[in-house]
This record gives sequence, structure tokens and C-alpha cells, in this order.
Amino acid sequence: MTDPTIKRIETLLRKPGVIFGAGAAILLLVTALLALAFPLYKPLLSAQFPFSMIVLAVMLALILSATAVCILAERKIAGFTQDRYGPNRVGFWGLLQPLADGLKFLLKEDIIPRHVDKPLFLLAPALALAASLLGFAIIPWAGQVRWPWMPPDAPPLSTQVANLNVGFLYLLAVGSLSVYGVVLAGYASNNKYAFYGGMRAAAQIISYELPLGLGLLVVLLVSGTLQLDQIVQQQAATGVWNIFLHPVAFFLVLVSALAEANRAPFDLPEAEQELVGGYHTEYSAMKFAMFFLGEYVHMITSSALMVALFFGGWHVWGLPGLENVTWWAMLVKLVAYLTKVALFIALFMLVRWTLPRFRFDQLMRVAWQSLVPIGVALLAATAVLTYLGWQHNVWASLAANLLLLVVLLRSAARSKRPVTARQDDLPEVDVRPTA
Amino acid sequence: MRDDDIIVLKEPELTAAERLYLPQILDGLKTTLRHMFDLQRRRAVVHQYPEQKREDTGELRTANYHGVHRLNKDPDGRVACVACFMCSTACPAHCIHIEAGESPWPDREKYPVKFDIDELRCIYCGMCEEACPVDAIELTPLYELVSCTREELILDKEKLLQVYEETKAVKPRKNPPVTDYGLTGRQSLDVAQPNVERKV
Amino acid sequence: MPKIIIDGQTVECRSGIPVLQAALEAGLAVPHYCYHPGLSVVASCRLCLMEMKMRDPKTGQMDWAPKLFPSCQTPVRDGLEVRFCSDPVRDNQQHVMEYYLLNHPLDCPVCDKAGECYLQDYTEASGPATSRMVEDKTKNPKKDIGPHTLLYQDRCVLCSRCVRFCDEITGSGELAVVGRGSRCEIDVLPGQPLQNPLQGNVVDLCPVGALLDKDFLFKQRVWLLRSARSVSPADSRGQTIWIDYNEAGIHRIRPRYNEKVNEWWITDEARFGWKHVHRRDRLRQPRIRQGTALQPARWEELPALLRTWFSQPSPTVPNPIAAILSPMLTCEEAWLLAKFARSLAPQATLVLGHVPTVGQDQTYPKGFTIKAEKCPNRRGVETILQHLGGPTASFQEFLGQAVEGRFRAAYVTGGYPNAWVMDPIATALAKIPFLVVHDLFPSALDAVAAVQIPGSAWAEREGTFMNCDGLLQPFERALPPLEGVKADGQFFSELLGQPGLFRARTVRETMAAELPQFSEVFIPRDLPKHAH
Repeated sequence: MTDPTIKRIETLLRKPGVIFGAGAAILLLVTALLALAFPLYKPLLSAQFPFSMIVLAVMLALILSATAVCILAERKIAGFTQDRYGPNRVGFWGLLQPLADGLKFLLKEDIIPRHVDKPLFLLAPALALAASLLGFAIIPWAGQVRWPWMPPDAPPLSTQVANLNVGFLYLLAVGSLSVYGVVLAGYASNNKYAFYGGMRAAAQIISYELPLGLGLLVVLLVSGTLQLDQIVQQQAATGVWNIFLHPVAFFLVLVSALAEANRAPFDLPEAEQELVGGYHTEYSAMKFAMFFLGEYVHMITSSALMVALFFGGWHVWGLPGLENVTWWAMLVKLVAYLTKVALFIALFMLVRWTLPRFRFDQLMRVAWQSLVPIGVALLAATAVLTYLGWQHNVWASLAANLLLLVVLLRSAARSKRPVTARQDDLPEVDVRPTA
Repeated sequence: MRDDDIIVLKEPELTAAERLYLPQILDGLKTTLRHMFDLQRRRAVVHQYPEQKREDTGELRTANYHGVHRLNKDPDGRVACVACFMCSTACPAHCIHIEAGESPWPDREKYPVKFDIDELRCIYCGMCEEACPVDAIELTPLYELVSCTREELILDKEKLLQVYEETKAVKPRKNPPVTDYGLTGRQSLDVAQPNVERKV
Repeated sequence: MPKIIIDGQTVECRSGIPVLQAALEAGLAVPHYCYHPGLSVVASCRLCLMEMKMRDPKTGQMDWAPKLFPSCQTPVRDGLEVRFCSDPVRDNQQHVMEYYLLNHPLDCPVCDKAGECYLQDYTEASGPATSRMVEDKTKNPKKDIGPHTLLYQDRCVLCSRCVRFCDEITGSGELAVVGRGSRCEIDVLPGQPLQNPLQGNVVDLCPVGALLDKDFLFKQRVWLLRSARSVSPADSRGQTIWIDYNEAGIHRIRPRYNEKVNEWWITDEARFGWKHVHRRDRLRQPRIRQGTALQPARWEELPALLRTWFSQPSPTVPNPIAAILSPMLTCEEAWLLAKFARSLAPQATLVLGHVPTVGQDQTYPKGFTIKAEKCPNRRGVETILQHLGGPTASFQEFLGQAVEGRFRAAYVTGGYPNAWVMDPIATALAKIPFLVVHDLFPSALDAVAAVQIPGSAWAEREGTFMNCDGLLQPFERALPPLEGVKADGQFFSELLGQPGLFRARTVRETMAAELPQFSEVFIPRDLPKHAH
């Protein structure tokens, strides 16, 4: 291909009309195909298992492509917060950047250094991505649906891939699996920086597993169930999201989720300034991309979980009829849920480009000296409330949270230093020369 | 040293809110959000590089910009460099490679047979320019340094002289060339006042 | 030992030397051009003038004499009090320096002496910053005064060191000061260029950049060179030298002061005797004969192969193994190779390799000798052979036995800078079925060798040479061996199965345990800059 041709294509792609036109055309094409093929897959939609499979396929595709968009969004947000434009060269407003990135990852040389533990080296990125993806199975995307052609007394279908009765316990289990990918990558790379990264990840994720679990236990006490769709339905029924009951618990979960996803300010395992690239130092091409995907997928999972637990899932105030199981209600719920998740992701990104990275001792201090005690105290308080039967009482819960905050402030006041400051167990001595 | 020479500094104590760390986080988020939506500022700050260049906007300081090197020529069109190795001695990146030889001209002793600068290794500090006793090597305002291979960016003598031809209009040579190394001795008398102050 | 007082400090010095030498030996940086401890004193540069205490004839008291005295011409005597740190002395230095700089072209950027130039350093230390000269400087074209030397007359300070060197040390007297006053210059007689076997020393002697070596001309700046203490392999006298090198290789060789051997001088053979190190045709890879041709091999294969061949007894011949220790080897290498041969075949014949000689020993008026024997370590190898005992043979005897087919395997070491394999040697060695040739360059032996091992030049090795008088002098490594080549000592210690890096010093210490001759080495002290 000659240069002018490339140039022409480039300018063509920069035109918004071309991009949006192409997008609309693809969308139309897909819709038309779906409509044409409707009789083919109509029977599949009517039973729970095949329907779950379809949800799985659709959401997997959606999420993986969303990851690509996330990367663009991340770079755009990074640009905006730093008074830049971010990527704006490939396609209109840089919209084709994810495509270019993907192509680049696929075409780059896939280097396997000679000194690595090859099986583990190959396994690690797959494990990191797979563990993150597993969490999607129990996200209650759009509640339940009963298709118009189904008999009215038929049980509605769940838009969850799997309605596990162990609920978010499963999420906890597979969520922490992703650390395997990171630790194995660090170990298999046979590189000291990668190894440091892996060790940091292990220590960090073990530490933040605790506050995360404590925060989730609070929600469990309030709702009395582990199943996410029921938790969402409870919140939708009362209209009171759990965030209003337990803001402190939400904070615990939010911080822990950031840490579990290895996102800034908790991105020590891949700290570029100290560890080259941390656990993925030795990875290139698609294997590196898999770590990347894993991180973003993890972020989306965490966001989805938090939306379900604290922000009422698909529930939107002031929209009547959402408790229906009609297909249009399902669509609205899906959109509501995804919007909330998107907002969360935006928050994650904004936090990344705002906060500096923790030092490792600060990281540990935050987890063990502040988040865990808060979590335990909150859990105890909620347990008392639940025993008294006030667990759904907004004022009682809020009062408990507020009380906790005050106690926290008092204890912080005693230490006189922020929890993130340097070692405060140093003796306070004024070194004055003797006369 | 006396007692009052010592200043004892203590970390300022934090207020209760600061101790929580949350207000600062919110403050930071506020700052980033403010910048995110400050379109005017973004437009004012960002240059859309290949379309919008600094020389077009008049912001490029041609006189002292540290870009690609050039080797100046003397009025006869010969390379001004005398191959004294001062630049390669001063170079902190060790990117200048010189091979000296006896010059083919009767009025000059030594000249560079080879003069290579690895532009990729160079850190553009300008020490070579400072070190040159005959003002032969200079940094130009050329900053677009791209090539398909690393070898192309190891500029040899011919390329460096070519850079001089390209940039002499934008950035003329600072000083007249030195070719006789003070052999004529005709210095201006005001710089050669006898040193009346005696060293003790 | 007389004690003199220099600048208020009592200095003990050797008797019979000038005050300047005493000051220099005490570590004072007294500027001087014409004085050189190896040459006669002319006191012409007037830069080393000092103040001296004398008895005032009027008062009879000891006081500073009103005039300055040349310190190079004043012999020390007990109780003498002099000073260099005083205003008159500094004034003198400054004005003399200004005078020297009147006609100096200030072409330091193109002058090879820059960086080690007395004129530069003294100007920086005590000279004026500017010149009051307004007339044109005299401009003198450079002169070709010999096959190796160029004279840049306009840089000359007429210290006459070079002239005195040619008169006193070599006795050849090619150089002379001609002309008078400002037309004074150094020159040679027409048709009698500067070409004696020691002429290169005038370049080192020259305190400024007037006399330059054509070989080093414009090659490098001296501050870009590193120096390694070495011993020249050019002849058996063991002249100590500095190898000036950088990552591109050796650039020149300078004499290293050695009061026991070569003092301040070296022969031109030693000075230019490094060219073979950078010859293009050096061997670069071990090769093993497969069929009729030598095929590239890996270093790791060699020890096992050599061990099998050297340890197999022969049914017909009593001791079929020989190791030829070249006099180019260091003592340590010769020791390791001899030990290797004897460890596999206790009755192996050890042979002192070919000793190249050229002409007769040449002795100069002041006693400087150029040896006819052009190898550095014959005596060292002989000492080792004597100590180890057992079957030994001279090279000629060995060749004779080889022709008879007495040897089944032999390890031949070379390392000579020049071709050494003459026809008789090649035909004799061709009779040996398993011939290991360890040498620098391709030779006639390539056709008959079973294994060819690339050697490393002396500048790429470390070790000790024992000179013809039995003086043991260690030297440092200047360059790494060529890519793909192992230092000889390293390979020999691997042959012996000794793990790790070869360190000449460690080997020498183990040798010293058996051989007292190797317990003491002589390392001349390094002189500071401008010490002579």
C-alpha cells in the first residue's frame, strides 16, 4: 500500500460521520440478523439453561469489548485530568484506538525469555484473565424476565448466568483466585522485579481480602441472603439502597475492591517506577494484553458487585414498573445496571489519576490498622442491630456508622498522624545539644 | 555551634479531618475533575503536533534550542572541526566518535577523518558545543529526528555538514571560525592588560 | 644522608643530587624543562630558580641571598636552606612562562602533547593568563626529522633534552641546536635523520609537543587513554613500560621508570612492539582436525580431548608426550602447562621453546643495553624446567627426537610476534601424530596440527617475566583477549581442572611455595607526573 492511500484512509476515519455511520450500520446489521434469526433461537430463550448460556455469551462479548473501550476511556480521562486530549489520532476522537491497540497486541512479537519456567509462564496470564472472568457468572444483570410468548404462570427467567445460592461467597472465592495469575507470573518470570511484584500482590490481596469480607458480611447481615438477585430485589422493594444503611461498609468494600484489582493507589505489584513493570515485566504481546484485560475485567466485576450490593443493582428511583418481569423492563434494568457500573469505572479511573501510590508499609497499615478494626466494629454493631431486629432501619444503621466514624476520629486523634504517614512508632525526641 | 543555631523542626500536627485522609482524597478528586472539564485551558495548552508546529507558532527558540547537531564549515567550505576530541571528552553520554587524521590542507594540522554522533544516545545537553574551542559543533533547532533504523541516526561527518547547510539560514554561526590558533598573536590590547596584581 | 630545608621543611635526601631532584623526590611540583635526572645539567630553562640562604658578607649572618639560583645546578649539602614558595621565585616562574609563551602557537586542540604537556600544566599552575605580545608570532613549519619523528619547531622551548639524549645516551648525536637568539632551533644534519634504536625516547623527553611520534600522531588524546603497568616482551631485558590503551586497543607504549633495568628509556623495539597484538590475521577460534581440515570447535571440548590424548601410554615408546614451553609464556603459564603435561604423563618431556635472537647485544655509552635475545622469559622457563627435573630437552634436541618419531603427542606453544616456524621445525613437528599448536598467528603448523588453539598476546594476559638477570617482574593485563579467545593462563588452569578465574598472583604464590626464586617480585615505584 502506498503512503497516500494510508493517508486517505486515515483522514477518512477521522471524520465523525464515517465512524458513526459505520457503527450504526454494524448495529443495524446485527439487529437485522438477530430479527431474521429470531425463529431459530426463540426456543432457546424460553428455558433457563440455554438462556443462561446466551446471557453468558452476550455478556462475555460485551465485557471483553467494554474492556477495550475502558482502556480508551482510561487514557482519555488521564488526558483530560492532565489538560491533554488523550488519544485522538486513530479514527474520530480516537475512537478506533482500542482497535489499533488490539491489533498491535496481536501482531507484536511474543517473547518467551529463555530463563522462565515455561509452563507456569504460559499459564499465568490465562489464569489472571480467567479468574477475573469467572466472577461474571453471578452478576444479576437485569433481574428476571418473562418473555411475551411464555405462559403467564411460567416461572420468570433469571438474567444471571448462574443463580448460585452461595452467591457472593463464590465471587469472593474466584475473585481472590486472580492473585494466582499475578503470583505465578512473578515466580515464573525468574526476574527479581517480577518476583517482587508477585510477592507484593500476594501480600496485598491477602490483606485486603479481610476488609472486603467484613464489608460484605455487613451486607449479608442486613439482607440475610447471599444471593445477589435477592439482595437487589430487597433494595428495590424498599427503595433504600444499602449505601444509605452502611456507608462505612461501602467505603471498606470500595477501598478493598481498588486494592484487589491492583488499581492505583494500590498498584504496587506493577509499580513502574520501582519494579519496571512488576509481575508483567517479562510479558509481551497478547500475554501482556491478557494481564491488562484481567485488570479491567476485575475492575468491571468489582463495580458490578458493588452496584448490586450497595446501589440497588438495576433499581432506579422514580421509574415505576421495574418490578415487572416484562422484556422491556428487563432492557431498562440492564441499561440502568450498566450505567451504574460505568459510573463506578469512571470513579476508579478518576481515583487512579488523582491519588499517588501508597508505600508498602502504608498499604499494610491502612488494611490492618484501620480498615480491619473498622470492619470488625461495624460488623459487631450490625450484628447487634440485627439481633434487635433494626437491621433495615436507616436511622439506626446510619447512627451506628456515624458513631463508628466518631470513634475512628477519636482514635486517629490519639495517634496524631494520618494512618498513611510514615512510621509513627518512632520515639518523639527533641534532639537538643547538651550545654 | 550554639544552641540557638539549631532549629528543631516538627511535622505539623494534622487536624481531625486531615487525619481521616478522606478530605484530601476528595480535594484531589475535585482538582482532577476541575481540570477534566476545563476545555479552554486544554485548548490553550495542547499543541496538535504534526499539524501545529512550534516554529509556526513562533515558540521555538532557534538561538538556543538543543536539537540535532551540526558541524560548521569555515569560509572555504571545509569542515571547521580540528578533531581535538574536546566534545567527545565532555560528552556525558559518550555518543561522539572521532577519528583524527592529518589534514589535506597546508594551513591546517588535524582534521576529523570520521566524526560520528549517535543521535539516539545523545542527551542533547549541549556540552559539546560548550567544549568546542573553534565553535565547530553546534546544536540546531531541528527536532524532528526520525528514521526507520538506528543506523540512520548515527550521523556521520557528511550528514552533520549537510545539517549545517540546512540550518545556517535559521541559525547563523555564532563566532567567526578560528583557523590559525592564535599564531598571528594579534589580540586586542584591552583583554591583554598586564596582570598588575601579584599572586601571593 | 644530607638534610636540607625546603620551604621550612627538613628533607632528607640522597647525597650528590641537585636540590631540584631532592625537591621532586620529596613530592614538590617544581616547574622545570631542561633538567632530567638521566641527562647532564645545563640550567638553561631558568624555571626552577629558587631562593637560597647564604652568609651575608657584611653581617656574617645567614640570610636569603638577593639573587635566585638554579636548583638543578645546586648540589645538596647538609643544612642547606632553600625556598620555592616565595614571591621572587613565583615572579620568576610567571615571567619566564610568559616568555616561553611569546611564540608558542597555542594550538593545544591539535597538539598531541596536550594533557601531559609541561608547558600547559605550568601555565595553568603559575603562568600568566594573557599575553602582552602584539607582534606576529614566529611561525615555523613542521620538520620531518626521522622515520618515526616529527619536529614542530614553533612549539619548542629549546630545553635541549633531546639533543643531550642523542649526545649522551645513544652517543649518535643526530640532533643539534642551530641558530642564535630567536632564530634558535633544533635540527638534524641534512641526510642524517634521527634514526637510532632508542630515538623514540626523545618524544617522551620533550616537555612540550615539539617532538611527536608519527606512529601516535593525531591518533588519540592522552586523557582518553588508560595505562597499564607492563613489561615489554621485545627483548630479554624486561624493560618496564606503560601500555596506553582504550577500548579501541593499544595506542602507544611509554617507558616506565625502572631503576634496576631500563631507567627512563626503552628501545624502539619495545615502543613499537605492540603492532602484532592488533594484527588482522590473529587466530580467533580453537579448531580441531577432522579429516584433512581444521574445523571450528568449542573451548569446552578441548580439555577432555587433550587429557585423553596426553594420558594414553604408548606400547612402543617410553615417554611419548612433550610440552614445548615458549619463552614468550609467563612464568605462571609455563608452570601450569608443565604441571598439566606432567600430571597426565609423569615422564613427559619438557622443552624450552625456540629462543629468537637477532645479532649481538648492543651497549650504549651510559650502559643502556639492547639484548640480542628477543623473548622476555627464557630464564623463567628454564628455572621452572630445572626445578621440575625429569626428562627435559633443548628445542634442537626435541626437534631431532621428533623427526625420529619418538613423540605421539606434543603441546607446542608459540606466541611470538614474528613468524617463527621455519621449515626444519615444521617438518620435525609434522612427525607428531597429535600436535596441539597454541599460537597467535597462522603458520606452517596449521597443516599438521591436530588441534589449533588461539593464544592471547602479552597485553591481554597478566603474569610475570624473569629477565636475563633473573629479575622477576610482574605485569598487568591491558586488554581483554580477542573475542572468542581465552587467555593462555585461564586455559591452562582449566586444563588442570582448576575452577574459577586464573589469577597470576595466586599461581605465583603456589609456585613460590616450591620455588623460592618466585617468592619475590620487583615492581618499580610509579613516579608522579612531571617527576623528571
